[in-house]
Amino acid sequence: MFRWKEDYTAYLLILPAIVYVAFFSFVPSIQAVYESFQTPSKQFVLSNYQLLFQGTDLRNSIYNTVVVTLLALAIQFLVAMVIATILMKEFRGKNFFQVGFMIPFGVATIVASYVFGNDNIFAISGGYANTILHYIGLPQPQWINPNNYIFNVLGLVIADSWKNTPIVAIVLLAGMTTIPPDIYAAATVDGAGAISRFLRITLPNLSNYIAIALIIRGVSEFNIFAMAQFLFPHKILTTLVFSYYGISGTTYLSYAVATILLAFIVLFSTLVLLYRSWSQKS
Amino acid sequence: MNRAWRLIPLYIGVVIILLYTLFPLYILFLLAFTPAAYTTIAIHSGNYPTLYPAGFTLYNLQAAFGIPEIMTALIKSLETAFLVGGLALLIGIPAAYGLSRLKPKIASIISTTLFFANMLPSVTIAIPISATFLRLGLNETFLGLALAQELIVLPLTVFMLLGAFQSLPREIVSQARVDGAGLMTTIYTVIVPLAKAGVAAAFLLSWMMSWDEFTFAVFLSPAQPTLPILIYEYVTRGYILEAAAFSMIVTIPVVVLVIFMAKFLKGEILAGGLNG
Repeated sequence: MFRWKEDYTAYLLILPAIVYVAFFSFVPSIQAVYESFQTPSKQFVLSNYQLLFQGTDLRNSIYNTVVVTLLALAIQFLVAMVIATILMKEFRGKNFFQVGFMIPFGVATIVASYVFGNDNIFAISGGYANTILHYIGLPQPQWINPNNYIFNVLGLVIADSWKNTPIVAIVLLAGMTTIPPDIYAAATVDGAGAISRFLRITLPNLSNYIAIALIIRGVSEFNIFAMAQFLFPHKILTTLVFSYYGISGTTYLSYAVATILLAFIVLFSTLVLLYRSWSQKS
Repeated sequence: MNRAWRLIPLYIGVVIILLYTLFPLYILFLLAFTPAAYTTIAIHSGNYPTLYPAGFTLYNLQAAFGIPEIMTALIKSLETAFLVGGLALLIGIPAAYGLSRLKPKIASIISTTLFFANMLPSVTIAIPISATFLRLGLNETFLGLALAQELIVLPLTVFMLLGAFQSLPREIVSQARVDGAGLMTTIYTVIVPLAKAGVAAAFLLSWMMSWDEFTFAVFLSPAQPTLPILIYEYVTRGYILEAAAFSMIVTIPVVVLVIFMAKFLKGEILAGGLNG
């Protein structure tokens, strides 16, 4: 009986947070889905979706979103793995490095977009990126020229990874610190090289944390907005929502695209959660 | 000697990563404090900008502060950020304490729900919220913006506070209850002071996330912008140098905060909702 009372107060304390989240995220999400099947005359229709699937905008922006997400995740995990590995070692200047690599995490997305943007680092000709390439003697691409798809994607993905790699790195680091050092010592004695230790010990023991970082980042990649608005001359799902939202006749289309975005995110999170429960069992 | 040689690849990695992280900030510094002739004017006329500070000027900063909108935007950003931080503690402290008292299995279900809410796209949520706020007269107000931004911040705050509370010795907590202090008194006079570093970090993280937030701000308060939106507007209107000065103003406080908070920003906290 006492236990029940304890739990009861605990629930009461949590309640405001739950109500808040329900009111400000679940309710609007359902509203968006509902509105996506509406017309100005309040009938239930599929025409918003039909219109979207007939055109090329939606297809292109889904494709772009997927390309950007995959490439950004690849870069972020690669660099974050290097950072986390470095932070597992002891060396002079570690304190400085520990703070230094985190700084982009605090820099506003809009500031990062501006510095990397059209006017500065990735300017179409002669930006800071090209200035460096020029001094090294490498060819200089036109980063934000819409005809240059690969470099458009690269520009966005590099800027986005600049800001977000620290989060991935600290999650992976948290995972690495849970692996007992004895395993590595034993493997080294058995003659396992650095690469085989990484593949056979680090990666499998990290799978849980990799999944967590994948969810956090994967979902955020689908949600990139300000940066794409600045740096990417093509549309991704979020910027497509915004472009329909701005025009009075297409509000319901913006709801429909927003719903598709939502569906992708729910799908992605579910897949990663499934992977996680599978990797924990095996 | 042998050991020193083996550290070389490590230091190469350290240097490359620090160059990558610090270079864009260095560029921002150049843009804000070097005469335009060496930066944007060079870029726009197709020349290469200089990679070192070729001159020093405060003109850009002065020009930016000469724009009347900046004070309004600064005040709005500050009001919103402090309200978001305050609300995060007001709702987050009881919630985190409640979670710390529940059975791990139930606590984990609730955390996952909070985490899931955090994942929903701001763009999707912002449109219906904007319609609702329009009816309530909350569009363009800092109150409305803070209420929306709280959503992104709250789950992380709860996980951060939960981590801080869980690291407290359990005996102290139960001791205070035995002594007959009421629950709320216990939380605010015993637990919060003991976990004050974690509580401060949670406040600063939410403050910082609100200060940086773009998506809700552009949907819910486009006409009376916060600083990030002001930067966006100035860049799209072609005022590149003013935008550089604004960007410096936005960036300096957060860089200081990150340096100060680096040791509190742990992967366990970000992973909190899904751990266990």
